[in-house]
Amino acid sequence: MALIYIFIFGSVVVFGLTAVAGLVWAVRTGQLRDFSAGATSIFDDDEPVGVMTDAFPAVDEAAAPTPPEEGPDSG
Amino acid sequence: MDKDTDTPYGMPEPSTVTWREGVDRSTAVVVMAFVASSVAWLLVGSGFALVASIKLHTPGFLGDWAWLTFGRIRPAHLNTVIYGWGSMAGIGVLLWLTARLCRVTLPFRLPLLVACVLWNVAVAGGTWSILAGHGTSVEWLEFPYHWSFVFAGLFAILMFSALTMFTRRRVSHIYVSQWYLLGSVLWFPFLYAQGNALIHGNLATGVVQASANWWFAHNVLGLWFTPIGLAAVYYLLPKILGRPIHSYYLSILGFWTLALFYNWAGTHHLIGGPIPAWLVTVGTVGSVMMFIPVTTVAINHHMTTKGHFDKLRISPTLRFIVFGAMSYTVVSFQGSLQALRTVNEVSHFTHYTVAHAHLGVYSFFSMVMFGSIYYIGPRLTGREWPSAALIKGHFWLTAVGMAMYWVGLTWGGWFQGLAMNNPDIPFMDTVLMMIPYLWSRTLAGVLMTIGHVVFAVSLWRIFWLRASDVKGPTLFDPSAAVTGGEG
Repeated sequence: MALIYIFIFGSVVVFGLTAVAGLVWAVRTGQLRDFSAGATSIFDDDEPVGVMTDAFPAVDEAAAPTPPEEGPDSG
Repeated sequence: MDKDTDTPYGMPEPSTVTWREGVDRSTAVVVMAFVASSVAWLLVGSGFALVASIKLHTPGFLGDWAWLTFGRIRPAHLNTVIYGWGSMAGIGVLLWLTARLCRVTLPFRLPLLVACVLWNVAVAGGTWSILAGHGTSVEWLEFPYHWSFVFAGLFAILMFSALTMFTRRRVSHIYVSQWYLLGSVLWFPFLYAQGNALIHGNLATGVVQASANWWFAHNVLGLWFTPIGLAAVYYLLPKILGRPIHSYYLSILGFWTLALFYNWAGTHHLIGGPIPAWLVTVGTVGSVMMFIPVTTVAINHHMTTKGHFDKLRISPTLRFIVFGAMSYTVVSFQGSLQALRTVNEVSHFTHYTVAHAHLGVYSFFSMVMFGSIYYIGPRLTGREWPSAALIKGHFWLTAVGMAMYWVGLTWGGWFQGLAMNNPDIPFMDTVLMMIPYLWSRTLAGVLMTIGHVVFAVSLWRIFWLRASDVKGPTLFDPSAAVTGGEG
């Protein structure tokens, strides 16, 4: 029984500590600086900002709009 | 902190085309196994849902078969869609997204495949037990307790795989989606183990068990489905549109405030119950504080998509993702308000709550998962989705079905609550009053189920179609999709 209580309260502590440790780590390693670079970190040279990466297969005429705009988008 | 498209595109990688394809392909077999299983469970869960729904307005339906009585079929529905559909689809998306965000190939593929098989066995076994009458009657944990050991082991494998990818990551910046994924994969296994130990270990009994139960059940949404869903939205929305998130600062703030507040909210399920008032108040405060993360997410999703809503016509994924993201805003604000005692005294124990639950798990989470699978599928298989019409059919059937479901039960449920609070109205009148609304739910359920069958057909064809039957993957190049259609 004591083991189960240790497990439960231990889990609670570990559970909370992961969040605290995560936040401390994020601050210390500079994760919370330079947000604009963070936002663009999922884009690459071949899938850059301004290019859509998804479309219906075999789009029919009615649904086909103008091709996506090139280059950075300012909207 | 605002979007600034002049900045460099994140981490410079020497051969960016090959890394992404390599990473996607490395996840293919495992992710396809989880996704295919999840959709199979979605179909099974939809069947259970329809039977349960019909029984509410036509009680004699299949009434002579003990295995299909409401008290068994309803938890069978809940557990198959939560542990079968939602969790397995979520794990598929989580593994793919983690590999992409960390830019590493998927490790431990064989153990993960075995985990997928065992996961199916556990869901099937647990569902069988529920239908046979051996459910535990603890909501969200109805599977007999021995299955929880299997799930705990499988969560450990999942956690280990995700953390291995994280430690091997080839990026220095942790994108916001990665934070959400880390949150879900680190916190939910703990939550699952604790919930099971407390409840099935008989450490929490009586009203304490109810408190533990709802703390657990609400956190399945808050620490498991919500972070995975938001991670997918935060990755796919900018990625599809080619626009960075409107305010990255707000997205990070949203993650940490969600981590801080969500896990307090569970006891709002027990408003009016025989538990200490302060415990309920804590849940109410936690729920209302959720306004902060939800507002950050709502602002970000809206402002990122603003001016580009016409692209919903081009992108299948975007339709589902935007529908899901909007639902997240609605369901979260609705949930915060529902946690207020004055609102809850009407909405509690009515169909209003059922509509709310489906708005969260279906309209938000499931729609985001559908969208994610539409994005992931061609990238895993190198093939195109077989038919745009099937995707559109899937979207409209489920979107209209869900809207109908929510409007009918929200409207009906509210009047049901008002009527039940009025001592002059006999209870039987309230029951009869609900029948039209319950029919609307069944009809909505039929639409959604047909949508799921359509989705399964699409999935079957992209996963198992012979390569010679398909045109080249046009999804990778939108201009090719626009000009090179086959009609």
